[in-house]
Amino acid sequence: MQNLIDTSNPTATIKNWVQLYSDSMCCWALHKTSSEETAKDLVQESFLAVVQSSIKFKGESSPKKWLFSILNNKINDHYRNSYRMPIVDSNKIFETLFDTEENWKNDQKPQQWAEDSEHIFDNLEFQTSLKNCMGKLPQNWHSAIQLKFMEEKNGEQICQELGITNTNFWQILHRAKLQLRKCIEVNWFKK
Amino acid sequence: MNRLMYSIMLSCKKACELIDKQSVIKLSSKEKRMLHMHTSMCRACKACKKQSSILNEFLIKNIRSTSETHVPQTINNDFKQQIISKL
Repeated sequence: MQNLIDTSNPTATIKNWVQLYSDSMCCWALHKTSSEETAKDLVQESFLAVVQSSIKFKGESSPKKWLFSILNNKINDHYRNSYRMPIVDSNKIFETLFDTEENWKNDQKPQQWAEDSEHIFDNLEFQTSLKNCMGKLPQNWHSAIQLKFMEEKNGEQICQELGITNTNFWQILHRAKLQLRKCIEVNWFKK
Repeated sequence: MNRLMYSIMLSCKKACELIDKQSVIKLSSKEKRMLHMHTSMCRACKACKKQSSILNEFLIKNIRSTSETHVPQTINNDFKQQIISKL
């Protein structure tokens, strides 16, 4: 019986689960984090947690469901941790864009983007350019964007899951968006 | 005059904050009114608002499609073996 932990050899059962479920767990983690490396780490951590058996399988649900719930906790931990990391120079973006009276600096004012900017969505070069800009964001700014746009969740749900305040979340999101907007303007529209 | 303006008008920095804030939390009616007033008078912030929603739209599309297309059908066996060896 692959579903029940063989008490005489629990590791064998867990190894079997790795064979059976690690693919779909990886896909899920990748979907949630968009990073293959992170996804693999999280799946591995989940299985390690099972072996070190701080958590026990009680057979109340299927092993797959149970493993996924552990994985989901790991994913949430991952996002939560990235928020705890101190934001380096978090106000620098404001100093770059705005003057002391909080108005746009002359050379930083957002310019009109080209008329056909709606069509840039389909442009591969633009997609690459945006991805590069995303890659330059600090980790927790990046994950704020990830969380906001990945699923149809509203801000309040996200904050609840992560245990952070609404204000904290939108302020991070705001900085990330400002930075992205600027990066795209410089690297794409002004080229 | 400037000081009076600021008591009834948002600064550009504040206006931009509200633009992103409203995608997470509902703005109060006062905030909405002030944002509307500011963006109807300030070209830079009006552009910023428009670009912010273009970006939103793009990010929704892009992040979702990335997470779909990059999902490998099967994770290679090396990875499975790597986990198993650590158990």
